[in-house]
Amino acid sequence: MKNPRIIGQSIPRLDAPDKATGRAIYTDDIKLPGMLYGKLLRSPLAHARIKRIDVAKARALPGVKDVIIGADTPQVKYGNWRLVPGSQDELPLAVDKVRFVGDEVAAVAALDPETAERACALIEVEYEELPAIFTVEEAIAEGAPLIHDESPGNVSLVRKIAYGDLDQMFAQAHYVREDTFKVHAVQHAYLEPCACVAQAEEGSRVTLWTSTQVPYIVQCLLASTLGLPENNVRVMKVAVGGGFGGKMELRPWEFCAAFLALRTGRPLKFTLTRSDELAFGRRRHPMSIYSKVAFSKEGKLLAKDFQVLLDGGAYNAMGPTATYLCGTFGNMLYNFPAYRYLGQHVYTNKPPASAMRGFGAPQAAFAAETQMNLAAQELGLDPIDLRLINAMQTGDEIPEVATISSCGFKESLTKVRQISGWDLKRKDKKPGRGLGIGCFSFISGGVFNWFNTKYNFSAAEVKVFEDGTAQLACMACDIGQGPDTVLRQILSAELGVSIEKIRLISMDTAATPKADLGTWGSRVTLMNGNAVIQAAGKIKDMLAPVLFSQFDLNQIHDLAFEDDKVFVRANPKRSMSLAECVYKALKGRRGEPLTARGYYTPRNKGLVSPAFSFGAQVAEVEVDADTGLTKVVKMYTAHDCGVPINKMSVEGQLEGAVQMGLGYTLMENLILDQQGRTLNTTFLDYKMPTAQDMPPGESVDVDTYEPEGPFGAKEAGEGLAIPTAPAIAHAVYEACGYRCKELPITPEKVLRALGKIK
Amino acid sequence: MAKQTIELRVNGDRYEVAVDPWRTLAEVLREELRLTGTKIGCNQGDCGACTVLLDGRSVSSCLTLAVEAHQREITTIEGLAPSPDHLHPLQQAFVQHGAVQCGFCTPGMILAAKHLLENNPQPTEQEIRRGLGGNLCRCTGYNKIVEAVQAAAQELAAGKEG
Amino acid sequence: MAMPHFTVHQPKTLEQALDLLSRHRSGVKLLAGGTDLLMKMRQAGLKAEHLVSLNRVEGLRTISYRDEDGLVIGGAARLADVGRHPGVAQHYPALAHACSVMATPQIRNMGTVAGNLVNAAPSADTAAPLLAYGASLVAVERGGRRQIKLQDFFRGPGLSVLEPLEIVEAIRVPAPPARCGSAYERLSARSQVDIAAVGVAGLLNLDLEGRVLRCRLALGAVAPTPVRCLEAEQMLEGQAPDEALLMRAGASCVRSCQPIDDVRASAAFRRAMVQVLAQRVLKRCLALAQGGAS
Repeated sequence: MKNPRIIGQSIPRLDAPDKATGRAIYTDDIKLPGMLYGKLLRSPLAHARIKRIDVAKARALPGVKDVIIGADTPQVKYGNWRLVPGSQDELPLAVDKVRFVGDEVAAVAALDPETAERACALIEVEYEELPAIFTVEEAIAEGAPLIHDESPGNVSLVRKIAYGDLDQMFAQAHYVREDTFKVHAVQHAYLEPCACVAQAEEGSRVTLWTSTQVPYIVQCLLASTLGLPENNVRVMKVAVGGGFGGKMELRPWEFCAAFLALRTGRPLKFTLTRSDELAFGRRRHPMSIYSKVAFSKEGKLLAKDFQVLLDGGAYNAMGPTATYLCGTFGNMLYNFPAYRYLGQHVYTNKPPASAMRGFGAPQAAFAAETQMNLAAQELGLDPIDLRLINAMQTGDEIPEVATISSCGFKESLTKVRQISGWDLKRKDKKPGRGLGIGCFSFISGGVFNWFNTKYNFSAAEVKVFEDGTAQLACMACDIGQGPDTVLRQILSAELGVSIEKIRLISMDTAATPKADLGTWGSRVTLMNGNAVIQAAGKIKDMLAPVLFSQFDLNQIHDLAFEDDKVFVRANPKRSMSLAECVYKALKGRRGEPLTARGYYTPRNKGLVSPAFSFGAQVAEVEVDADTGLTKVVKMYTAHDCGVPINKMSVEGQLEGAVQMGLGYTLMENLILDQQGRTLNTTFLDYKMPTAQDMPPGESVDVDTYEPEGPFGAKEAGEGLAIPTAPAIAHAVYEACGYRCKELPITPEKVLRALGKIK
Repeated sequence: MAKQTIELRVNGDRYEVAVDPWRTLAEVLREELRLTGTKIGCNQGDCGACTVLLDGRSVSSCLTLAVEAHQREITTIEGLAPSPDHLHPLQQAFVQHGAVQCGFCTPGMILAAKHLLENNPQPTEQEIRRGLGGNLCRCTGYNKIVEAVQAAAQELAAGKEG
Repeated sequence: MAMPHFTVHQPKTLEQALDLLSRHRSGVKLLAGGTDLLMKMRQAGLKAEHLVSLNRVEGLRTISYRDEDGLVIGGAARLADVGRHPGVAQHYPALAHACSVMATPQIRNMGTVAGNLVNAAPSADTAAPLLAYGASLVAVERGGRRQIKLQDFFRGPGLSVLEPLEIVEAIRVPAPPARCGSAYERLSARSQVDIAAVGVAGLLNLDLEGRVLRCRLALGAVAPTPVRCLEAEQMLEGQAPDEALLMRAGASCVRSCQPIDDVRASAAFRRAMVQVLAQRVLKRCLALAQGGAS
């Protein structure tokens, strides 16, 4: 099937000129008349009972307009997993207990931020300190203090997968190995700190501008925590300065802003500081992973026993999803007959972990892919060959998950072998240099309806006007990854209207059709794209009668919608402009506007995802054996993202993913002290790669066509954050002999492994 | 500790503002002049999102006191484009080369690049990477930003010759 | 945290600045680049009611080099300007290197060399090179001025011998002699936006026979203050520097440091790196001194 011209092009982002000129408005740029400023008081202790809170002094401070504590609020617990109400374990403001350093205890509204901050310091909180737990091992030990009374053993969720005869496979296997791995906490480090502005209107209605990637989820959970109908809450679009999973829940400041705006009758803004973000913000789950694998003599993977303890921190957040997906990511790349997964989400007294680009996959893949490299070495096989023996292919089944409708994994392996010069460089090894490989598979959106929405997962509304322009309204959320452009490309491709003639209204929960679950799990292009196509199809149906009557067409004819024209495919001379066609259709409908809605919900696609992407990455590194410093010389990537809608955007996702993956592997790490306080709360000490740290890259798209995706597209970008860590870790081993099983790879660990320091 | 009346010369415009002496230039640009293109990503001088040009030098406006900018020439991102529908070559190159994703680092990145190109009109790739070392970006992986700066350098050089 | 409140004074002359200092005695701080001071005030609770800005003081940004006088760096001369000054680049490569790789371009455009020293951070990047070059500070107060050798300047983390009412007017660095090589190496996990986990600066001056006439080695970020490595210097002076000797001297530097464990690196790692970097610096210094034009 041939795609329209606009598909696969490198179209510059339509929002880029506003962003490059400073015209784009982000949440903190909003200043409303009479606006107040909010600040949160947070717990200084990791685990404590709140015995008394006295806000009198704070209230008395001139300029303070309101002070709230948990007892003042409706105290409705929330969490993204509405499907399992017991998993909803968070309150906007703590009531009885605080569970991590930074847990929100009170909020102040004042005339200016400094007064609000001073007022926070005047709030007296008496705590009874409780023993705190900072590792999963301590948390699940017998007699450990309970963080939530409802979760004995501090395990909030257990996920099991089991198929095939594991014991028999391990017994008959030629080669069995077991390893344990540990991965650490890192942060999204989006450049825009979280902010929100709330304004109350008509008594109990509230509008919230917020830096979020899930406007619909925020709308619903804000309504439930405020005790208001959903329809009373409107979440509005502004530019969002990155998210990567870190902005996909209702957050305490959003609740407090709305609650205080309703109480004071004045608009109110919260803006977090970078230190707030680094010390208290969401992060990627640290995990302890045990993995045991069995292989045949020929290198066929026979069985895997995969056991994961996820360090969830103080609350569930998106931890349940990560617990589920970790197990799925343990068996998505390779076809093998027996698998057992045990994932346990464990509470600790640390800032909650949640979704972060890859949703459990970077951790699972670091373990699984590193183990593949270990096994290849012991089996005497080339690591790429070992993968080719076991790789999933189109039509293969991921047991209990789905049948893969398109898969370019083997092609990715072959291509990355080629472009990286794998065989030659491995044969002709230079001291201090090494090549390593890591692979990934990822989802294109989720199927499992944990949010328990009653609506379709994605929706789009298209209107066309008699001047030949169109309007696309949807709740899809551009946080920098590009759907504001990509969805217009899809509409343009389907309806033939020029992209610059499409006005977009996105992410306004009051003006866009219900619903869109938001930006996560690489779902937007596929799901919202499909909704756009369906809506456009309905518009075409409204326009077709005009041509059929105008040209007296035989009903067997097909119409084409291209280049702002509608014409008969077999006879393009029979044509009229889209504008004229809409005008005539409007006349024929006696003035009823041409509006259509499209929806998408994955059906009959299992419980995980409607489509899967695949890819392989090779890292080439140099390790300085004296300093232990690793320099990534070049990254090679071959991946299968279906048909890329916007090539430049896909490249941008890939390159951004490498930055994040490289930081995860080599330098980023949130460090906590013995009391659970974060030590690195600046970008000086939370080290993410700069332009100078980024290696050049070379990449190839493997051509596949995903039947479930719009114009053949599927996931492109989140998955690419997965293979970098195992690839670099493998390359470091090849370069210097240090095999990393515990991220990050620091110069110190390298030198210790080489016996150069103790 | 009274407010001090200062004259800020921003993008060729003169503003008289009474500011508290402890206010940073970033705060005053954003809150008083409402030039919100200057972003605050860390307020710690590490991320570069608040970069402006002060007498032609790139500085972190979150670590510059507004009173210290009195009567000095300030360029912010709003002052770069010659007209609303005509972008500066750097802005144009950032748009064309996909160097803008979430856009939060973009204003500071472009101003840092401008400072770099003014001091070194034909930088090598490594010089560009070093020159942008004070500007963090989490979306792009920097490669497209580097490409954009290279393209803009060529464009600017061609403009000077022609 | 919010910035504490203060008044900013912007004197035009050094005399005015000194007057302001003594008038406000307690609760006054000098403001130059502001990159350290404002961070400490906003993040670390440092308070001052008055800031005296040096940024409009005439002549304080001067940087000059003459063969007979050496280098004079004005008290408000900024890191970037020092780093790209032709005289610095030619005669003081270790200092030029430190000034052009530390922190970020923006911080280097704002921060001053004097500020970097006066803050007395153990990790100050310009301290080790300036120690190796034998720099002195010229401190002025209302009663007069005095010259302080940099090696006598630091007292501990954040502490120096500078009196509260003194201002660093200039940093004087003697001209390096003939057959001299110098270098600075730093190590951190990332290229920029970083603080050195270890920094080593060195200078080797050879006599006509190729023996070491003078050696200076200084370390940053591995002790409460930047420190000289006297043992290594003595091992080398008067000797014909072969590779083995350089290695031994570099290794001996470990005994001059007292590193700590912190977020940036462990003490064990820092000790190991002192040796590695000192050896690299010495080799580079020797190569430069032997090839030595300057």
